[in-house]
Amino acid sequence: MALTTGIINDKERAQFLVPRRAFTDRSIFEKEYEAIFNKCWLYLGHASELAEPGTFLTRTVARRPILFTRDKEGEYHALLNACPHRGALVCRERHGKGRAFMCMYHGWTFGSDGHLMTLPGSSGYPKGFKTDPQKQMAHVPRVERFGDFFFINFSRDGEDLATYLADAGDTLKLLGEHSPSGMQIVGGTQEYSIRGNWKLLAENSFDGYHAACNHSTYLEYLGNTKGALGADPLKGEAVDLKNGHAMVEYTAPWGRPIANWVPIWGEEGKKEIDAVYAELQSRVGPERAERIAKKSRNMVIFPNLVINDVMAITVRTFFPTAPDYMEIIAWALAPVEESEWRRKFRLYNFTEFLGPGGFATPDDVEAIEKCQQGYAVGGDAQYNDISKGMARDGAPSFDDEAQMRAYWVEWDRRLSEYEA
Amino acid sequence: MSTATMERTLEDSLLLRLRVEELLFTEADLLDSWKLESWLALFTEDAHYYVPPSDVDGDTATPDTALFYIMDDPVRMRERVVRLSKIGAHSEHPRSKVRHLVTNVRVERDGDIIRSRSSFIVSRAKDITHDLFVGHYLHEIVDQGGELKIRKKTCVLDMEALRPHARISIIL
Ligand code: FES
Ligand SMILES: [Fe+2]
Repeated sequence: MALTTGIINDKERAQFLVPRRAFTDRSIFEKEYEAIFNKCWLYLGHASELAEPGTFLTRTVARRPILFTRDKEGEYHALLNACPHRGALVCRERHGKGRAFMCMYHGWTFGSDGHLMTLPGSSGYPKGFKTDPQKQMAHVPRVERFGDFFFINFSRDGEDLATYLADAGDTLKLLGEHSPSGMQIVGGTQEYSIRGNWKLLAENSFDGYHAACNHSTYLEYLGNTKGALGADPLKGEAVDLKNGHAMVEYTAPWGRPIANWVPIWGEEGKKEIDAVYAELQSRVGPERAERIAKKSRNMVIFPNLVINDVMAITVRTFFPTAPDYMEIIAWALAPVEESEWRRKFRLYNFTEFLGPGGFATPDDVEAIEKCQQGYAVGGDAQYNDISKGMARDGAPSFDDEAQMRAYWVEWDRRLSEYEA
Repeated sequence: MSTATMERTLEDSLLLRLRVEELLFTEADLLDSWKLESWLALFTEDAHYYVPPSDVDGDTATPDTALFYIMDDPVRMRERVVRLSKIGAHSEHPRSKVRHLVTNVRVERDGDIIRSRSSFIVSRAKDITHDLFVGHYLHEIVDQGGELKIRKKTCVLDMEALRPHARISIIL
């Protein structure tokens, strides 16, 4: 069957093909903003980033500048960061403490909830001007919280967040269960971009097939490092989490500060990891504890939130500014109560694989950028093949491409619905 | 004048700066010519190499509590060099053209440690991309029997983000 977007999903012939114009076409890119980024729930931030009342941060979400605040009562607000007067960015700092935001142009000053507190030269305006709803900073149409994860939606209507997240919600819950005292974003943010289409990063984030080739040097490095590897083989399956969300869940030989010990951590480390595991078991039960501790997961929440719970946990979001360019922001998530030793290992693990300076991510970047360059060969008959595992009986393997097909089917559904 | 204050004399501090500059320029040269094994030999056995992210104070932050781009210990520094020598380090195959400019070198003694602050621009060119990394180096240097060795190198990026670079696949 050929879908509206030109995707070919032919189960009989075990064929799933995505036309390459999905990565290059300007009009598809514009449609993605209308049909996807303006309709879907998008990740905004984590509660721990505004740990205290009266704090704020600014962030760009799908091209729009957002001011995320917590007022003195502790309530969270997501404001569109533009002045109702002439539109200047109101807050120009990355983060901080403060309950009043003064626009640097004419001095209009707003509270944490966006209301206009001070209007300089107010005698020049009619009565009631200052309380006119149009003269207040606008709120993002919808903000919702799932556990400690905040999401926003630029559309007033549509399903609520929990419905939207479908089975991905349980994996978000699972992340919260890593700790008896809650999870936090560790200070330090990786901010970068890739000269490639944004959907290539979504695919790459849970592509279990590319590791052996693309990350051969990383795997060799692990092999070289005495004691860095445990006995667990790289093995697992892909799980469709509905609504375009999907993950791969698998055992892996690398150490996990959430209770998967590897020899390099030593006997002292083993004691601590054993204690972490025992606490986990008594809190969530043996089955869930084993899943949390021993299994790695790479999850993509449609359209642009990646949570990789691997040798550390990364929360990563991204959005395109052009068909061939995306901006990425990535954080490390960790248990609040984590000991100094475990925190250090977690960050050491994180930077080993992940991020612009890691031993793996630069090669992912290279792959994505080279795909984008390759698309310049053009021609209507150019398709990407996403069919691995379609002919397999039983559960799809973690190195099949079922998780990507789930993503593409949702992408197609949203774009087709918009066209109709 | 006592021996302890001798070094404050203009000649001695100039001489120390020249020695450190010689080390930094050698380092830059080795990195530009991809002689990474020799680059590694400029470091002590217990050396560290750090690149903090843009949203922390790079002069004071520690990778034990904040997420960095790079937090290499001696093992990982060696492995970084090993990795970059392989064809499977795709991001640097074929190798990029690299040029390190090191300027504004300031040097001061802190007990047995020589601390150097300098400015850098590192240029990386590869096929269709050409990116500049701008920032300052903090080198911790020790004198090992008359030979200066680097014990810690921190590359603080004076940039708001790694955009459009995407990666630090070369050594800064
Ligand atoms: S634009 Fe903000 S006060 Fe005028
Ligand atoms: Fe990868």
